[in-house]
Amino acid sequence: MSFEQRRRFLWILFLAGLALLAGIANATTLARMRFEDLAQQATAVARVRCVGAESRWENGEIWTETRFEVEEQNKGSLPSFVTVKMLGGRVGNLHSRIEEVPTFRAGEEAYVFLWTRNGEPYRVLGWTQGTFRIARDSRTGLETVTQDSAATPMFDLRTRQFRHGGIRNLPVAIFQLKLRKALERNAL
Amino acid sequence: MKNRKKRCFASVLAAFYGMWFAPIAQAYSFDMIVPDVRQPASVSGGSACPVKAHQLTPAGSIAFRWSTVLNTNPVTIVTQNQTASGKLTEIQQVISQSMAVWTGVTGTALTSATFAPLTQTTTQNACGSDGIDSICFDQADAAFTPGVLAFTRVIVTDRIGLQVGSSPVATQAGQILDADIYFNPSGSQVAFATPQALAANPTAYDFESVLTHELGHTLGFSHSAVWSAMMFPFAPAPGTFSGVRPTAQQPDAPLGDDDRTGLRVLYPNPADTVHQGSIRGQIFPANPLALPASPPGVTGVFGTHVVAVDASNGAVMGATMGGWSCTAPGPAQFDGTYEIDGLPVGSSYTVYAEALNGAVNPSQVTDAINSLCRNATTDPGWPPLQGCVVPAVNTSFTTRTRPGP
Repeated sequence: MSFEQRRRFLWILFLAGLALLAGIANATTLARMRFEDLAQQATAVARVRCVGAESRWENGEIWTETRFEVEEQNKGSLPSFVTVKMLGGRVGNLHSRIEEVPTFRAGEEAYVFLWTRNGEPYRVLGWTQGTFRIARDSRTGLETVTQDSAATPMFDLRTRQFRHGGIRNLPVAIFQLKLRKALERNAL
Repeated sequence: MKNRKKRCFASVLAAFYGMWFAPIAQAYSFDMIVPDVRQPASVSGGSACPVKAHQLTPAGSIAFRWSTVLNTNPVTIVTQNQTASGKLTEIQQVISQSMAVWTGVTGTALTSATFAPLTQTTTQNACGSDGIDSICFDQADAAFTPGVLAFTRVIVTDRIGLQVGSSPVATQAGQILDADIYFNPSGSQVAFATPQALAANPTAYDFESVLTHELGHTLGFSHSAVWSAMMFPFAPAPGTFSGVRPTAQQPDAPLGDDDRTGLRVLYPNPADTVHQGSIRGQIFPANPLALPASPPGVTGVFGTHVVAVDASNGAVMGATMGGWSCTAPGPAQFDGTYEIDGLPVGSSYTVYAEALNGAVNPSQVTDAINSLCRNATTDPGWPPLQGCVVPAVNTSFTTRTRPGP
C-alpha cells in the first residue's frame, strides 16, 4: 500500500469512525423518546432491584415476568414488589427473542420507567429507552446510571451536531436531580 | 487467502478512539444459541458450541404471509395509491421488494426460490407463535409501549424434533421455527410510508427500510455496528431511507457490504468460489496477568470489535465481535480468537481491532454475550464439562499487531 493509499485509507477510516457515531434519529424498533417524554408518559418511575424472572407461555406467546423490589419511588404508586411483563424469553427448548427488549438478572439494580394501560401488567416504557442500569464502582462506591439505549452517540442530521442519544455514566445523584426536574416540569 | 495482507493501524486508531470514544459493539452478528446437550446427541448434536439461529433454505422453506388488516385511524401505512386495492398492491410490492433485497445477494444459499410466494391473510391477529411467518400492521400486541415502532419476534429451538404450531419439525438445532414482524398500529405519532409516498410524507418512516431491517432479523441477524449496514440498529430519520433504493440490476443495493458478508456466512453457498476468504487471528494481552482470574480458563482478550476493511477502497467488508472459539464437543473457549468469513478472495484487507470501552456498556451486549454459554446455574443438570461462564468484556486495551507465523 503506497503512502497515498494508506493516508486515504486512514482518512476514510477516520470518517467511518465518525459516521459510526451517527446514530441518526431513531432505532429500527424504537422511536426516540426524550427524557422528559419518558418522564411524562411513564405511569411509574422507580429504582428497583431485580429479584428474579420467569418465562412462560401465555396466549400463544412466550412472556417473561420479572419481579422487582421497589427501592425508591419517583413517580406513581407502586407496591413494594412490582412485576413487569415483557415479550420473549425461554421455555424448555424454545427461545423467543426480540431485539431491544431489556432483560434483567437477579440482583441487578436499575431505574425503570414503567407504563401500563387499562389494568394491563406493567411494561418498560420504550423498552431499552426506559431502562437505566445502575453500576457501582468497586473502589469508590460511586453509583452511575446508564440508559440501555444510549450505546451510540448520535449525529443529528438537522443540526449536524454529534450528541449523546441518552444518559451514560451519570452519577446517581445527578440522575435523581434530572429526574426530579423532569417530573416537576410535567406536573406544571 | 493468497494475496491477503493484514495491515493494522490499530495503534493510531486506538489512540484516536481511546481519546474520544470506542465505537459500538459488534458488526454483523447473529442470534446464537447453545444446543441443549442434556438431550441425547441424536437431537442435540452432542456439542455445546454455539450455533447460529437460521432458517432452512430449500425452495419454498420460508413462507411469509401478511395481514391486509390495516390500521386506518390513525393510518399506519401511507401509500401513494389511495384506492383500497391499489393500497394493498403497493404494500405487497414493497414487501416483495424487501425480500428481494436479501435474496439478491450473490454467493449465498438464500435465493428467491427460498421464499414461497408471498400470501395475504385477512386475519386481524395473524401474528403469533403458530409456525407461520407473518407480517402484521394492525395487531395491538400487548408488548407495544409508546416509543416502539416495530419489532420482530423469532422463536428458535436448541434441539432437533420440536415444532411450533404448524411449523415443520426442526431438523437442526438453531432452526428458526417462527418469525413474525409487528408494526405498531396504535401510536398516532407513527406512520410508515412506501417509497412512492415518502417524499410527500416527510414525517413518516420509510416502510421499506424498516421492513428490510426486520426481515434481516427473521433470517437470524442480530444488530450490526457498521453504520452503513442495513442491520445497524438505528433507522433512518423520518422522510429518509437507508442506503440506495433497490433496482432490477442491483436488488440488494440497500445493503451494506457487512450485511452481504454476514448473509454469506449465515447461508453459505458451497458452489460459491468468490467469497471463500477468511481472516482469523487471536488477540492476547501483552501482560497475561491482565487476564481475568475469574472465570478460569480465559487465555485471550474477550469482546473485541474486529473489522476487515477492503484496502483498495476503504469499504468495511465485514466485522465481528471476537474473543472466543469453539470446537466440538464444546464449550466455548475464551482464547481471544476472531474470525471473519465470507470475504472475497484475491483482495487485500486491513484489519483493526478495538475495545468496547466508552460508548458501549457491556450490559448492552449482555444477551449476545450470554448466549455463548450455558451451565448448571442457567440450566439445571447441564454437564459440567460442557458448561462455561462468559467472562466480563475486556474494555481496557489498545491493540498492536505482530507478524504472523
